[in-house]
Amino acid sequence: MKRYLHWGKGISLGLAAVLSLTACSGGSQGASGKPEEGKGGDGSANLKMMWWGPDSRHKATLAALDLYTKQNPKIKFTPEYLAWDGYWSKLTTLAASKSMTDVLQMDGAYIQDYASRGTLEDLSDVDLKGIVDPKIIENSKINGKLYGIPLGHNGQGMAFNKTELEAAGVKLPAKNWTWDDFIAFAKEGRSKLPKGKYPIGDGSNVWDNYQYYQTAKGKGPIMVDGKKFNLDKDLWYEYQNLFAQFRKDGTVPPPDVTKAFVDNDPKGDSMASGTVMTKGVTVASVAVMEQLMPGKVGLTTMPVGPAGGGWAQSTLFLSVSSTSKYKKEAKEFIRWFITDKEAGKTLGTSRGIPINNEIYKELEPTLQPTDLISRKLLDTVIEKALPFYPAPTGWSEWVQTYQTEMEAVWFGKKSLDDAYKTIETMGKQIEAKLGGGK
Amino acid sequence: MTASRLKSSKLANHLLLTAISLLMLYPVIWWLGASLKKTEEMALPTIWPAVPMWENYSKGWHFSPEFSFAHFFGNTLMMECWNVIGAVLTSAVVAYGFARLQFKLRGFWFSILLLTLMLPGQVTVIPQYIMYNHFGWVDSYLPLILPHFFGGGAFFVFLLVQFIRGIPRELDEAAKIDGASVYGIFTRIIFPLLKPSLVTVAIFTFIWSWDDFFGQVLYLSSVEKYTVGLALRMFVDQFEIQWGQLLAMSLLSIVPSVIVFFLAQKHFVEGITTTGLKG
Amino acid sequence: MSNVSALQDDAKSRPKTAAGRLSRLWSKNRSETNAAGYIFISPWLIGFLLLTVWPIAQSFYLSFTEYSLLNDPVWVGPQNYANIFLNDQLFRTSLGVTFAFVLVAVPLKLFFSLMVAMLLNKNLKAMHLYRTAIYFPSLIGGSIAVSVLWRNMFSLDGYVNHVLGWFGIQGVGWISNPNTSLGTLILLSTWQFGSTMVIFLAGLKQIPSELYDSSSVDGAGKTRQFFHITLPMLSPVMFFNLVLGVIGAFQMFTSAFIITKGGPVNSTYMYALFLFEKAFKHYQMGYASALAWILLLIIAVLTGINFLVSRYWVFYESEGGKAK
Repeated sequence: MKRYLHWGKGISLGLAAVLSLTACSGGSQGASGKPEEGKGGDGSANLKMMWWGPDSRHKATLAALDLYTKQNPKIKFTPEYLAWDGYWSKLTTLAASKSMTDVLQMDGAYIQDYASRGTLEDLSDVDLKGIVDPKIIENSKINGKLYGIPLGHNGQGMAFNKTELEAAGVKLPAKNWTWDDFIAFAKEGRSKLPKGKYPIGDGSNVWDNYQYYQTAKGKGPIMVDGKKFNLDKDLWYEYQNLFAQFRKDGTVPPPDVTKAFVDNDPKGDSMASGTVMTKGVTVASVAVMEQLMPGKVGLTTMPVGPAGGGWAQSTLFLSVSSTSKYKKEAKEFIRWFITDKEAGKTLGTSRGIPINNEIYKELEPTLQPTDLISRKLLDTVIEKALPFYPAPTGWSEWVQTYQTEMEAVWFGKKSLDDAYKTIETMGKQIEAKLGGGK
Repeated sequence: MTASRLKSSKLANHLLLTAISLLMLYPVIWWLGASLKKTEEMALPTIWPAVPMWENYSKGWHFSPEFSFAHFFGNTLMMECWNVIGAVLTSAVVAYGFARLQFKLRGFWFSILLLTLMLPGQVTVIPQYIMYNHFGWVDSYLPLILPHFFGGGAFFVFLLVQFIRGIPRELDEAAKIDGASVYGIFTRIIFPLLKPSLVTVAIFTFIWSWDDFFGQVLYLSSVEKYTVGLALRMFVDQFEIQWGQLLAMSLLSIVPSVIVFFLAQKHFVEGITTTGLKG
Repeated sequence: MSNVSALQDDAKSRPKTAAGRLSRLWSKNRSETNAAGYIFISPWLIGFLLLTVWPIAQSFYLSFTEYSLLNDPVWVGPQNYANIFLNDQLFRTSLGVTFAFVLVAVPLKLFFSLMVAMLLNKNLKAMHLYRTAIYFPSLIGGSIAVSVLWRNMFSLDGYVNHVLGWFGIQGVGWISNPNTSLGTLILLSTWQFGSTMVIFLAGLKQIPSELYDSSSVDGAGKTRQFFHITLPMLSPVMFFNLVLGVIGAFQMFTSAFIITKGGPVNSTYMYALFLFEKAFKHYQMGYASALAWILLLIIAVLTGINFLVSRYWVFYESEGGKAK
């Protein structure tokens, strides 16, 4: 009967569609060079590699990978590159399905999470003598092991709007200025800057801004060894009361203006929009400020205390997955990545200031203003730099709560004392949970 | 109604519609202007840039070292084609089963269908990925396309069920008397009458799967397979964002959906004006 | 002998009463429609059993574990659920935010969609242009551009405050103020009413025009027609939009994720965002799975109520009056 013919046609159409899809994707899978299971007995390998970055970095990296394959024909690559946004969700998913790529780019804010849970391979046996400063290697170690090979220098300092400060007759921040200098600068700025412009921004809702204060004054980081909770009550109140006063007398923008800022957005950035005269920047991010406000950017350190200020450390790494089948090849490749002169030329400054000083020297003549300003910042901050203290594993919710509590104080929904109580209680709870031996 | 009264009420309608359209479109006009601005100009409250940078469009189109945006559009359109075919065919079939046929456990299965809509996707993402990885379907379009062939999604099945329940049973009866079986009733009566709703299914499948960022990020690893949505994200990095190009390409990426909608809506106009009950 | 018994068997199997005959007919059709029913829903059923059941079951299992995603899951029993209900302030906050969102956004969207759909149902020239223009915002979806757009519109010196300035009203930073930020997300959801409107439009197109014609002949005015023809005939579609609107609103994630990230002060911390961050940011997928199943329960209960109440106002043409 006709209807069954209809049906038959429909079903076979559907089946054909599904089959052809499978064939298509199977075919293209072959074309993209999926790695074969198990090593070829001749030492050949197909390394899967994953990174994030802007377009320029992708171009440079792909060229570098081709270069390596030319030098080592037995090693081929299956690259995967994404934007920063999707990278971490995807990496987490890959980790959950135990299919992380052999080589992966890692960030200082995340490496502890991944390393502490055993997903990264120990790279302590990679020979970096003469390539990377031993101090940097030590700083990059977690629990005595090296889980990522540093790729570039990074550091934290402050940028300021040279042009507008000079126009208003405000004394420019000097290198290694102290916290007292900082407060004096803020007061002078408030009195001399026109309405709607502020000398400093309000970062009192972010935990690590206070940590800079605490460490500069010599009281150490807030989380010690990842487990102990070390928030100095007096110092914290001192810091928060300072900014509460700043909010009251208009030295910093009001809360809803601060919350509306969008980092590095041409219209919404606090400094690029001309609203705030200073901003914390890193060696990695200062180039963007130069791009948004060419020629207007001056550099200095974070305010320093007796112990120092800011930090100078590597935050970009290449790591190897602990489930990789090609660990030896991966390690060799990573070492080559930061050593080979050709590679260095090809990669340029796509990952910041190269960690290998020799490669940097070769690149120096060809650097752009945006690169040079990064170098300048690094040289400025390195003298008094303290170690980099990211939030350790298990503290991410505390970080988030800290921000919510402080913003509640900003908008008048909570008192400072209540906020402190919540922050301290949660900190102690996590300390108990982690210190209790996991 | 006199002719002039008719004219003025038509005019009133036109005015109202134009006002609403402008309200809806204003942000898009801003968007077009912004896509032509230099990065520094973005901060200004003007709509149109001083000098339109049309090269934002050409640069954006060729931004990737290996492929132009045409390639990504091609990928996405191919995927969309399959998605729509799968959704339209299978959702109608499944909906008919639920709406018109009595069978054991029908209520149970329908509740399960609805329940699948209620579980937030974020928690099934990981097990789903593990499963697809196990099948070896990662880095292919299969996980993205196949679900559409299995009913097109609970949303569309439920939608069509509601529409089918609006079709009078007398038509079914009439066909039955003429000797049609349940299959015949489906192909000859119900399916044709569902045209406006099927167009709706097609439009929505097209538009919603275009936007499915999370699924595409997870299951498409090689850049050559990237969709437009994924390619767009490449403009946004940790620190620097090429605004002009991003906005330009985002605007372009909407064009296919707009075209699809524009063309498909004609079929709404030819809706049902009679149910054939007169006879 | 065999003939007789054969005849007798025949007689036995052939029921005597009309009811009996009818029920036999019915049972024969029953098994046929059983098979037909399953054949028709088989695409969905197969897909469900092959592709959907396992992930869903897994997520249920995971809700009883502690699972960082980077390590294997560890069984902890109902601990997640206990913590959610007893210790988690953020759970209550995000649930409150989400309920507020649903209560306002859903009716708003339904109202505007219906009104505009009716406007677009007329036979005016250039109707297809209007329809496309009005549907446009819904095409922008969750793209990055939307967050740029929305932030620009609602910023201190953005379009909205500009327009308010015409009326002499001083605007605020709508998105960055905890008192108004949820409102901007509700507005965004309402602005993207296109899909709901299109479904209403399809429903309107299915109403036979003779109903309107014959009632005009009887002297019915526009309002009467709206309440006595349009609304009842549209009720299945209205029901659909309501049920799915509620389900969708509870799971609203994208706008909170890309525009406000849940802030400020958690004023836009939608439940789905809370869930997502627990899983992918705080590495607690087990807890997040428990949260998901709780949400499912809430939505299921509300949807069930929706279905129960529907019998009082939804009218199905094909079932001749009140629906089941």
